[in-house]
Amino acid sequence: MSEHLITRLPNDLGGQPSPPFERIDHELAPWEKRCHALADVLDFHKIINTEEKRRGVEALGSEIIGQLSYYERWIVVFANILFQKGILTPEDLALRMQEVERRWTPDGADDAGGASNG
Amino acid sequence: MSGAGHTPHPHGAHDHAGDHAAVEDVARPGYYEIMEIAVRELLVERGHIQGAEIHRQIDLLDSRTPALGAAIVARAWMDPAFKARLLADGRGVAEELGVSFYDDTGLIVLENTAEVHNLVVCTLCSCYPRPVLGLPPEWYKLKPYRARAVSEPRALLAEFGTVLPDDVEIRVSDSTSMARYLVLPRRPEGTEDFTETQLAALVTRDAMIGVVPVELPEGRPA
Repeated sequence: MSEHLITRLPNDLGGQPSPPFERIDHELAPWEKRCHALADVLDFHKIINTEEKRRGVEALGSEIIGQLSYYERWIVVFANILFQKGILTPEDLALRMQEVERRWTPDGADDAGGASNG
Repeated sequence: MSGAGHTPHPHGAHDHAGDHAAVEDVARPGYYEIMEIAVRELLVERGHIQGAEIHRQIDLLDSRTPALGAAIVARAWMDPAFKARLLADGRGVAEELGVSFYDDTGLIVLENTAEVHNLVVCTLCSCYPRPVLGLPPEWYKLKPYRARAVSEPRALLAEFGTVLPDDVEIRVSDSTSMARYLVLPRRPEGTEDFTETQLAALVTRDAMIGVVPVELPEGRPA
């Protein structure tokens, strides 16, 4: 019986069996708030709109959707869409992520001074 | 690396006081935060977006709170003509009050009555009346609420402590990116002498999602 896999997208949850409700809430982490702001700015510039973002989350599939948090899914989707549109390449992102990570390592810390020139 | 905007300082020292210190990170970031920083920096450096736009949007996100929705609800309770216009054109009336909308999204205001109770959900994702309520609570975005709001709203409402008589119809509105809903709750009994400001103070975020009624503070006679 595989019909359930194709009759519903993984995010189409209405009426599905679900875990018990819990009234969970939390303040957004600073990076989550930045991620939300990024989504809005990308929408303003017509780079990624809300529908593209939602479809991008669907395309992650149920396993990734189930294991990543809300804003983790968003940033992964932004990267995927930016790759698809040729705005960034996977290599661009991988190299920059390495560079960002080095800012928090002792050896790389000295190089990071200019990074917060915002 | 000019114009990188919100790059967190690795030493945790804020070298530009007052510039969104609250959203700077001091701890070593996780994988997805590193991805967020990298994507944003690349987009800024290549001129697709500006770092200042991210700053401004964070300010705007912070400025949108349920107090905006509460003020609209209180006005509607005080002024029947206002309420009629609000129910006919939610977005237009909110904009008259200075609420900014970020895209073409509509705002539909749903009035609770003695016969009908409205509940808002987004089964597909997390669409929410952000212009008038700010960002949604975590539970609104999680599976249990999204799954059950449409199939067993009465049981779900009971878990919020909202037990409705069986003869009250529950209407569930499923939001989309273009149609967002705000519940106009019932005005509580015993507020006839309240000012608009006092009324607004009673109106909670959750009441405007439709999961709880508006109630008088504890200890105040109803």
